[in-house]
Amino acid sequence: MIAFILKRLGMVIPTFIGITLLTFSLIHMIPGDPITVMAGERGVSAERRAELEALLGLDKPLYEQYFVYISNIAQGDFGKSLITREPVLDEFLTLFPATMELSLFAALFAIGLGLPLGIIAAVRRGSIFDHTVMSISLAGYSMPIFWWGLLLIILFSVTLGWTPVSGRISALYWVDTVTGFMLIDAWMSTEQGAFTSAVQHLILPSIVLGTIPLAVVARMTRSSMLEVLGEDFIRTARAKGLSPLRVIMKHALRNALIPVVTVIGLQVGILLSGAILTETIFAWPGIGRWLLESIHRRDYQVVQGGILIVATMIILINLLVDVLYGVINPRIRHSN
Amino acid sequence: MSLLDVKNLSVHFGTGDHPFKAVDQISLTVEAGEVVGIVGESGSGKSVSSLAVMGLIDFPGKVTADALAFEGQELQTLSENDRRKITGKDIAMIFQEPMSSLNPCFTVGDQIMEAIEVHQGGSRKERKAKALALLKQVGIPAPESRMSAYPHQLSGGMSQRVMIAMAIACDPKLLIADEPTTALDVTIQAQIIDLLLDLQRQKNMGLILITHDLALVAEAADRVVVMYAGQVVETGRVDELFRTPMHPYTQALLNSMPESAIGHKRLRALGGVVPGANDRPTGCLLSPRCEYATDRCRTEAPIPSGPIERQVRCFFPLSASGSTAA
Amino acid sequence: MTTLSKPMAPPSPLREFWSYFSANRGALIGLYYIIFLILLIIFADVISPYHPYEQYRQSFLMPPVWEAGGSWAHILGTDDVGRDMLSRLIHGARYSMLAGAMVVTLSLIIGIVLGVLAGFYRGTFEVVIMRIADVMLAVPSLLLAIAVVAVLGPSLLNAAMAIVVVSMPHYIRLARASTISEMSKDYVISSRVAGASSFRLMFVAVLPNCMAPLIVQATLGFSNAILDMAALGFVGLGAQPPIPEWGSMLADARQFVQSAWWVVTFPGVMILTTVLAFNLMGDGLRDALDPKLKQ
Repeated sequence: MIAFILKRLGMVIPTFIGITLLTFSLIHMIPGDPITVMAGERGVSAERRAELEALLGLDKPLYEQYFVYISNIAQGDFGKSLITREPVLDEFLTLFPATMELSLFAALFAIGLGLPLGIIAAVRRGSIFDHTVMSISLAGYSMPIFWWGLLLIILFSVTLGWTPVSGRISALYWVDTVTGFMLIDAWMSTEQGAFTSAVQHLILPSIVLGTIPLAVVARMTRSSMLEVLGEDFIRTARAKGLSPLRVIMKHALRNALIPVVTVIGLQVGILLSGAILTETIFAWPGIGRWLLESIHRRDYQVVQGGILIVATMIILINLLVDVLYGVINPRIRHSN
Repeated sequence: MSLLDVKNLSVHFGTGDHPFKAVDQISLTVEAGEVVGIVGESGSGKSVSSLAVMGLIDFPGKVTADALAFEGQELQTLSENDRRKITGKDIAMIFQEPMSSLNPCFTVGDQIMEAIEVHQGGSRKERKAKALALLKQVGIPAPESRMSAYPHQLSGGMSQRVMIAMAIACDPKLLIADEPTTALDVTIQAQIIDLLLDLQRQKNMGLILITHDLALVAEAADRVVVMYAGQVVETGRVDELFRTPMHPYTQALLNSMPESAIGHKRLRALGGVVPGANDRPTGCLLSPRCEYATDRCRTEAPIPSGPIERQVRCFFPLSASGSTAA
Repeated sequence: MTTLSKPMAPPSPLREFWSYFSANRGALIGLYYIIFLILLIIFADVISPYHPYEQYRQSFLMPPVWEAGGSWAHILGTDDVGRDMLSRLIHGARYSMLAGAMVVTLSLIIGIVLGVLAGFYRGTFEVVIMRIADVMLAVPSLLLAIAVVAVLGPSLLNAAMAIVVVSMPHYIRLARASTISEMSKDYVISSRVAGASSFRLMFVAVLPNCMAPLIVQATLGFSNAILDMAALGFVGLGAQPPIPEWGSMLADARQFVQSAWWVVTFPGVMILTTVLAFNLMGDGLRDALDPKLKQ
């Protein structure tokens, strides 16, 4: 098992280095010299230019700059925001819990609904239920997520007034930031109704963000189940006289989930892409919105650092999924 | 009362104008303690018919039969629950590909114990002991360590032994073995067959042995059913059938064995192929390939005739001298 | 007993493909809608009632004709600077479809070339290419696209380029995997033994057999390209005003959520229906090209 994990880790390292190369070259690929680019329309005074040059080490040759860049990263220094002057990593860590909370509930929504729908659709193949699930799922991943969010806002917030339009919690409440997770913080705070407000604010964004993963999980589960249900060992299980429920939930599901777990792992990247858009629509203060705004404000240090941190996170999550896959699927564990 | 009594069993696939008849009105019986061999090429419908007996045919397949009785009880009218009580307990089945017939996510021990749990119950300890005993009975060395092995860690022969252990776990009265050795190495084949026959004798089980291997049938079976393109073409006691085959197809099968070609320059194979879904001939299904076919054979379809223990589906069954009685 | 009819002849491959494909109603609907869109693109200038950039100062934020305050002059209403919605939607089809076509074609060609070469030559070349693909896939697609546009500057063309960069790795992976699996097949080995040149082997022998999954992926890639273009437009990094690209039309739409629902709804409906059509067709293609999967 350990050997398996180490081997996977080893394969990750070149990819990580590749990403650092990518983010490093980002600033240097922009036409014009980096400092003018970063200054944008503001222009830059001579002292500021000298200051920035020294700060960013732009006078040194490229490979030296890269080396400095890498060693900074190894020490956890991902640069400082050009606008707020705060370390990029700190800003990231402050804003990340908001995105994580949103993504978590979106994922729960997607898996909690997607798995059962996919299973039932597979078992009742060709039925009206199956066709309905497949159609909804098709619509789900054909939808532009930002439009879907706006539509739901029009329907539920504006027309019906059931959910709020934006933010994590009503402005009426002041909640101390203990964990960064609004649900936990609101629960622990002394304000009446804070928790309810937090929940209300979380519902719509989670549904919007979770729609595409829901569609993908439902589809994937269904097709995986269908494939497994056609396997020889399912025939054996039925020949043993096992009840249909047992055949499906015990024998088929274990095998069917294997590719689904991989797909769920891949959804993390999609969740993050979707978070950028969802957070923008719902004014949700997470890293998605932070990254987007940084690009508009030409805060390239944030863009550079942010992409690197996000990509690293995704690589590690993929690694985790790989390991999890090895746990579920005995064949992978025992091979080589 | 026969152990298994099948009358005019048919299995159709698909709807519309041309439903594919994988099994076409076959009838057979199996007595307690008897070994019946079902012989035929691929596409003869032998596997599908046994799946139909087990109740394992799903939509879009449709099973119809005048009678499908086990120990006198009609299976078609049983509720699903009741039928499942018999499946795996009184009638069991083992399949051709043992490597893919075991669930890769569970250990061998778990899968055997499950068979026991569903039909007989008992504490985990009791079931484990029983499973262990079964593994020993099927000749698996070091059974204690094998209990926690996963299917992919076993060889083909081992997997088939495990399948057999699972099948006999609840002392079935009838065991259906669908080409149990076809996917195994030649040396292992003999071992598995010996195991099956030993168990059959010990427990006085009915055994349906489905195979395309005539030598195996000659050795192991009491009675033989020969199938072609979904129909039964001949039945009889094994010695009679092999010595004096009555249907041209049976004769062709016997002739195609390498042993019968000793002294000849070429193997005596039957030309042509088994008709598929798109090219069913009119009249007798064998007529395009049969050397004795007449015009009557090509236009009219024969039905089984003769005494119940010795049926043949042919207008001109071969006489003792080997030629057709014209 | 037997009522056997005349034996049937097996159908030809093209007929078989069409019979599977046309049996899939969804795929047919998708196909017809796409044909409709193509006609829209060709005849946009003729069909649309007004010029998409023309501002009608008297009619800001006019609702569609069926609501109070609407008029037949602007059937689907107008936006915040008085431009006719219907005309903009019709012209918008051009940008989405053409950008999508360009993106898919480019990423398909580059992806196939790199993927087939990687799968054929293996070795260091393959490792380098696959690592680069892995790096590109490690960053969430939208983020990467945004970063590329940030580098190149916001415009419709640059957004399309960014999406080409983001989609490429998928085709590279697919092409390489298909190539590797075909390479071990007997017909390739016999071609090699017969002395076929590398180029011939790769692109004449192997590639046609990999085309089926690539075609399906390309059709689905079209819908992804349209969605990504719209997303980039939405965040202001794609087509710039006054270009009526459907995603960009939604860029400032948030402020109209409460006041002018039509500005928000219609462009999204166009995106949804177009993407849906491509996905339906892609599914139909997949099922028709490999019927085993369906049954």
